[in-house]
Amino acid sequence: MPTEESVREPRQPRVVEYGPLASMLDHLPAGAAPHAREALLRACSTTGIRVDDVIVGARSVVATHDPGLGPVIRDIMHDVLRHSGSDYTSESAPAVEIAVRYDGIDLDDVARRCDMTTDSVIELHTKTEFVVEFCGFSPGFAYLAGLPSALVLPRRATPRTRVPAGSVAIAAQYSAVYPRESPGGWHLLGTTDHLLWDEHRRPPATLQPGTRIRFVVAS
Amino acid sequence: MTLIVEQVGFTTVQDLGRVGWAHLGVSPSGAADRTSLQLANRLLGNWSAAATLETTGGLALLAAADTGVVLTGAECNASLDDKAVAHCQPFVMPAGSLLRIPTMRNGVWTYIGIAGGIEGPERLGSRSHDTMGNIVPLSLHAGITLHPGPTRGTALGLDTPIVPSDTERLTVDVGPHMNLVGNHVCVRAFRRTWSVSGEPNRVAVRLTGPSLHPRHSEELHSFPLVRGAIQLTPADELVVMLADHPTTGGYPVVGVVSPRDVDRLAQARTGSRVTWKLAVT
Repeated sequence: MPTEESVREPRQPRVVEYGPLASMLDHLPAGAAPHAREALLRACSTTGIRVDDVIVGARSVVATHDPGLGPVIRDIMHDVLRHSGSDYTSESAPAVEIAVRYDGIDLDDVARRCDMTTDSVIELHTKTEFVVEFCGFSPGFAYLAGLPSALVLPRRATPRTRVPAGSVAIAAQYSAVYPRESPGGWHLLGTTDHLLWDEHRRPPATLQPGTRIRFVVAS
Repeated sequence: MTLIVEQVGFTTVQDLGRVGWAHLGVSPSGAADRTSLQLANRLLGNWSAAATLETTGGLALLAAADTGVVLTGAECNASLDDKAVAHCQPFVMPAGSLLRIPTMRNGVWTYIGIAGGIEGPERLGSRSHDTMGNIVPLSLHAGITLHPGPTRGTALGLDTPIVPSDTERLTVDVGPHMNLVGNHVCVRAFRRTWSVSGEPNRVAVRLTGPSLHPRHSEELHSFPLVRGAIQLTPADELVVMLADHPTTGGYPVVGVVSPRDVDRLAQARTGSRVTWKLAVT
């Protein structure tokens, strides 16, 4: 997991080929990728250019497409970069509230390692507004940016083979909610009943790149 | 036209996978070897993306009614009521007959195309079983009945069967992080012979080869992966993404294998030699 310090000077945004079936918009500013995705989808829709998937990374956006469409999609990506200033400030939907029971098995350990009380861990976690930077790892798993630096811890040395669905966790500079049971190496702060993944729903995931989230203490 | 699964082995239902959900962490999935799946459907007169069975062996199917079938992909020791069946030649399984696919002769994945394609539930627009994301529209088990859709065209066979070819000279395009790792390191990597290591799976192919000593020292921000992307790991291994690949990764992508050649690589057994040809751009 990269930390801010490990990345040297900011690089100029760039557009590159990514094999014959994909193109990449890279070195975007922090938080810009979900907006760039939206702008790219809008531009493709108004010009009638078909893209297959538009995938968001922590600082990048990748579009997959027919082999012949690479050049025109990379042109659109350059346009997105030129007009990015206004798009990045666009106001998104209200924050999703996720009610959490702060009963996670790692809560005491996190408090001890961060040199604070469990109450202040909970307070810090609930007063932060997070935003989905990107999804990955498993379907519906969203990397939530915004974790206060006081709560930044490396992943557990030994990942757990089973983390229950609904586990609310932190690791490195991210928080996350496990949408389904899976293995995992994050620190578990609590649990939520909020349904984050349902293959029968459209969209199947509650949390998408750019979604803002607030955790509240479950009553 | 109905088949009953008598023995599952390692078999999944596959079509050409899911499009449009990768930004939520959903892999494309679909056939590991897309060329062979499409060939099976073409030989049966099916829609080219119709769902088929994909197996590495241990499969037995009983026909509950006369059913048109074809085998493509890896050549296998297939038998219909103990009589050998030909590769890439559609045949009718008469009601009551048993098709066995115990083991492979070459390659990894055999496709059992079924006239009309396998019907059944879709998840997120596909019938494919995503082994990594655990998206399973139709879970196969002994005793399950497969229902093909209506047949559309006429079956035809190939005079010469198509079998997985060797993995010499896979075409590779430059990867987005080639500069970061060092062009000379990448060129050296693609001039050398690599070897497939690890058990075949639907997620990725792992290759071992020369020590490269890349100059790369900077950690990358997680970025999207695509099928065919070649990640260079800190242990000097190349990991090539297959159908059920994770949607994001963190190791530099030094090249992208051309889509047709990802199909060839997916069929490579442990120990197979792999060499490269840089795409002319």
